[in-house]
Amino acid sequence: MANILIVDDSRTSRKMLRSILETNGHVVVDEAINGEEGVKKYQATKPDIVTMDITMPIVDGVEALKMIKAMHKDAKVIMVTAAGQKSKMIECIKEGANEFLTKPFDQHEIIEVIAKLME
Amino acid sequence: MKKEFVGGLYMFDQIFGNYLVATKRITKEQLKDVIAIENTIRVKLGLIAVAEKLMTTEQADEVNNLQAIMDRRFGDIAVEKGYLTEEQVIQLLKKQGNIYLIFVQTLIDKDLLTLSDIEAALAEYQQSMGFTATDMDDLVSGDIERTVNLFLPTANTMYSKLCGIAVRTLIRIIHSGAYVSKAFLVDEIYADNLAIQHLDGDFKVVSGFAGADDSLLSIAVPFAKEEFASVDMDALDAVGEFTNCINGLFASDLSKENIEIDMLPPLFYDESVTIKGNKFCVFPMSIEDNNVSFIVSVDEELTIE
Repeated sequence: MANILIVDDSRTSRKMLRSILETNGHVVVDEAINGEEGVKKYQATKPDIVTMDITMPIVDGVEALKMIKAMHKDAKVIMVTAAGQKSKMIECIKEGANEFLTKPFDQHEIIEVIAKLME
Repeated sequence: MKKEFVGGLYMFDQIFGNYLVATKRITKEQLKDVIAIENTIRVKLGLIAVAEKLMTTEQADEVNNLQAIMDRRFGDIAVEKGYLTEEQVIQLLKKQGNIYLIFVQTLIDKDLLTLSDIEAALAEYQQSMGFTATDMDDLVSGDIERTVNLFLPTANTMYSKLCGIAVRTLIRIIHSGAYVSKAFLVDEIYADNLAIQHLDGDFKVVSGFAGADDSLLSIAVPFAKEEFASVDMDALDAVGEFTNCINGLFASDLSKENIEIDMLPPLFYDESVTIKGNKFCVFPMSIEDNNVSFIVSVDEELTIE
């Protein structure tokens, strides 16, 4: 079981992700709707894992990843992308992203990725 | 060899079936019955593969899940994963049968039309649409890409790529009975609500879905798996996420040609808007009696007022 913070500007995606995570025994400690709020809520909740959407207004997922990793280099951050964001994904790998999930969500993929990070 | 693969996606039964309804040859209810019977006969490729013990249920589920995020055909993914050989896929497709023939046979078996009625209607449809015999072969084959190209008013490959992905994703994720009508170019169009996304980079693209009344719920509800009372901002968020998935697959396709585009967060309008641009494409799509428009503009900005 992992404590997870969901950062995504889309209510639909947050809801889908929360449903999959909770159905599989994980705890969603909080949700944030952009990168700036995500960084603040990371510091407040100190989750085991963050799922971070890449495309968000105000502060995007790549910038939020950099901020979180600068403060907590061992933070486990799963970047959530639509297919096709290749250059952004490379940037995320350079900044220390731990894993990637692709939209639309595949329950098996999500659970596998989280189990791998919790090992 | 790969060109012989016919995917599980098919649209001509809906396109021609709705023409039969519009010309009062059959009723809407009769068409629904025919399609329902057709779907029971037309078994999914994965189910046949499992029944033939060529794949396990887990492998078939895995391929089905990958289809949703990869915009690839079942057979192609199964071959790539090493679950089936190309020869096995061809054999399975033969077992699956010709979808158009199943549709025609069902119309005849239900005593709705005779074969000569159907042939006459097909010839009339061809003439009304201005299609050649080759165009009709493309339509009847069920190849989505060829069908989309026939319905598009431009040969620009960016439009055909993006619209092809949109149609395939719509049929896979939203509704297997979705179908398209002829697209057109306009400088201005009115919509009751809109979810749209800008793509930036080597090309500038704007794409999204516009609807009248509550028609966009036909996308929002199945995508979010949630009921919405009306097309509010939450419902539009779901339509925006669906658009994001389409555009992601489009960006992924372009990246194979070293074309880089980046996606910006989708924008939503829950009040009436006028979309203005320079000859942008409006592609009408029907989902269970709801008409929505897929809007695409390449290298031309759209203004929304």
